[in-house]
Amino acid sequence: MTEIDKRKIINFVALSFSCAAAALGLFWLIFILADVLRHGIAYITPALFLNEATPPGMAGGGLKHAFIGQLLITFFAVLIGVPLGILGGTYLAEYGRHHLIGRFISTLSDIMISVPSIVIGTFVYAIFVKPLGHFSGYAGSLALAIIMIPVVLRTTEEMISLVPWEIREAAFALGAPYYKVILQIVYRGAATGIFTGILLAIARIAGETAPLLFTSFNNMFLTTNMNEPMPSLTVTIYQYAMGPYDDWHEMAWAASFVITLFILGLTILGRLIIRWKYKN
Amino acid sequence: MSDSIMTVKNLNFYYQGGVHAVKNMSLEIKKNQVTALIGPSGCGKTTFLRCFNRMHDLYPGHRHEGEILFEGSNLLERKDITELRSRIGMVFQKPTPFPMSIFDNISYGLKLKGIKNRAELADRVEQALKQAALWDEAKDRLKQSANGLSGGQQQRLVIARALAVEPDVLLFDEPTSALDPISTSKIEELMMKLKQEVSILIVTHNMQQAARISDQTAFMYMGELIEVDKTETMFTNPKEKLTEEYITGRFG
Amino acid sequence: MAGTIKREQTLDKLFAAITFLAAFMVLVIIVSIFTSLFRESLTAIDAFGFFGFISSTAWDPVRENFGAATTLYGTLITTLMALAIAVPVALGIAIFITELCPKFLKPIFSTAIELLAAIPSIIYGMWGLFTFAPLMGEYVEPALQGIFEPIPLLGQLFSGVPLGIDILTTSIILSIMITPFISSIVRDTFALTPVQLKESAYGIGATRWEVIRDVIIPHSKTGIFGSVIIAMGRALGETMAVAFVLGNKHAIATSLFDASATITVTLANEFTEADTDLYLSSLFYLALILLGMNFLLLAIAKTFLARKGKA
Repeated sequence: MTEIDKRKIINFVALSFSCAAAALGLFWLIFILADVLRHGIAYITPALFLNEATPPGMAGGGLKHAFIGQLLITFFAVLIGVPLGILGGTYLAEYGRHHLIGRFISTLSDIMISVPSIVIGTFVYAIFVKPLGHFSGYAGSLALAIIMIPVVLRTTEEMISLVPWEIREAAFALGAPYYKVILQIVYRGAATGIFTGILLAIARIAGETAPLLFTSFNNMFLTTNMNEPMPSLTVTIYQYAMGPYDDWHEMAWAASFVITLFILGLTILGRLIIRWKYKN
Repeated sequence: MSDSIMTVKNLNFYYQGGVHAVKNMSLEIKKNQVTALIGPSGCGKTTFLRCFNRMHDLYPGHRHEGEILFEGSNLLERKDITELRSRIGMVFQKPTPFPMSIFDNISYGLKLKGIKNRAELADRVEQALKQAALWDEAKDRLKQSANGLSGGQQQRLVIARALAVEPDVLLFDEPTSALDPISTSKIEELMMKLKQEVSILIVTHNMQQAARISDQTAFMYMGELIEVDKTETMFTNPKEKLTEEYITGRFG
Repeated sequence: MAGTIKREQTLDKLFAAITFLAAFMVLVIIVSIFTSLFRESLTAIDAFGFFGFISSTAWDPVRENFGAATTLYGTLITTLMALAIAVPVALGIAIFITELCPKFLKPIFSTAIELLAAIPSIIYGMWGLFTFAPLMGEYVEPALQGIFEPIPLLGQLFSGVPLGIDILTTSIILSIMITPFISSIVRDTFALTPVQLKESAYGIGATRWEVIRDVIIPHSKTGIFGSVIIAMGRALGETMAVAFVLGNKHAIATSLFDASATITVTLANEFTEADTDLYLSSLFYLALILLGMNFLLLAIAKTFLARKGKA
């Protein structure tokens, strides 16, 4: 075998490995999604959304309480996290872009994005749950908001930075004050990007379980009182999956299916918007 | 000689860190004329231009010395920069349409001035678009995004936007360098027409452009004013050797 | 007129101040996470010290004797194994996307791989517990055991009863979760290799693989390193997927088929059950150690990637 042949064989083997790795990645994705679909779809019934939990073994139970809890917790998290993230990102991209503190906070946010979410849960437990003496929906929202802030903040910063600087100068040249330039022109230019960032951030927090375990905790009953322990889909999945009853497992699958569909839908939607927007 | 609208006296400008970008400039800007600023890259002509509507105030650490007299007072000392900037408009190198409709782009400056009456806004928008020779192309798509216009149309839109607030002076910073020849000639025609209403100060790299459209030309080199004269005289019979070398293309 | 100007200036300052406060919140949150976890850990710090805590394999809620060694060990071993699997696969995927994939498939394939990162960890947990772990326990692990157990030394790694709820299963699931993080960053840095550099290597007769190995990968070293560290941070902090399939057993595992516990799983399972101050404080201490490790790793990765960005 000549040297050239040997090199060609190595080339072939290495590139085959690369294709195999790609196939493996795709295989896992299809395997997991197909599995969730297969297990979950059979239990998607109106009762799942319309009924509350029944004692194990009793038919007709649903997860209405968990759906509503999840919506409430997520809603309040967005309410806290989005404004803070957008305003903070605005500072980093506008007023603070040449300041050391701005660069520092930007880097810090990047690191904060990777802080394990369960650590955020223990933190909110320490500063919120423990002093108040009880778990609550608010605590869950706070934990999710803390996870959301750096994500929204960094996307906002990046999207705002994409608005050409000359556009701002042109607005200044007409006599606009800085805050109006930001509110009326920069935000308009960055709106699609920021909106997409928010969608992706919601997709991220909607699947979080660990930070809710010791903040909103769980509740087998429907509640709309954010000051009480509040059920969420994800914690319910955990509890039901770990439980001994078959109908719990079925409902855990159904809930998994719904949440996966929601999150992947949001993620794909976000990507499509970005592609559509930044192609033109 | 016609009247001056602005008089620059011993103007010095220092960037943050001390770079002395404009050195002891003195210059008369004539009313209802086009004054062209020429010179090689980095000679300080854009820096000089941006002094007139106080663009440098946006960035900390820069410093002016000297004065630019406008309406009897030194505009470098004025506190109401917002008001000043609406009197001295600016058009940039690249078109800068705001991410909104054509109509909203033009009316933006008017709304900043507190004009809310819809009929008046519509009137002023139409007038500005006509002045900028864009009305015929834009009148049927006023509600559409300004980003849909071509580069040359966008630049005329930006000029219309600056005109809508009825400024006394318009500053142009290489307004045609990003445009094709046809759009360029349209903008040049426009400027020559506009000087009946506003005084124009234009920075350009293109000496033919300066020769075609300006009444007065100033040549800058390394932050200093080398020569200023009537454009005709400047291009046919420059006094300074450096000017002659530059306009005959021996450097720059 | 003067009044309007004054008002505008005030509003301008006000808006700047509001945005600054919002950005400053990030700093406030991070500082308070550290300080409050530290304060909550004080009881355990007083009782066990630092080196005492991380070197002790005790985890005995009844006698209130706690150490971090078993959970740290579980955390590190699953993370390192996940990396060992994920890094080659992710590099393969990145090479496939940048060099082999037909152009029209690129965005679709990239998105598909990145969707792996969007799937919530609880779903990995469900799939792991009900589908993947049984498959591992029934088919894969006995097969591996058949091959490797007779081999001296190496056999130890494959000893025990393969149930599927163990370190191997956990590491594989973790590796799937972190692969997209590595492959997407590496893909981006691969794409930054100057075309002339690649073409000049092809020009002297290099094969495609040789160009990848000798030009593209060396050119992307920092990106690869940074992405691996980011993925490592991610694996260290992963909770739910691991909680389903690792078994939560506080012991130093010697076989890939042993159950184990990580810091995150211990927190998830025991936090709400901790009935004494010292127990809870020890859990906070674990959280603090995890946070410290994660922060350090990410800071290193950021510095590396930032330096790359400047160069």
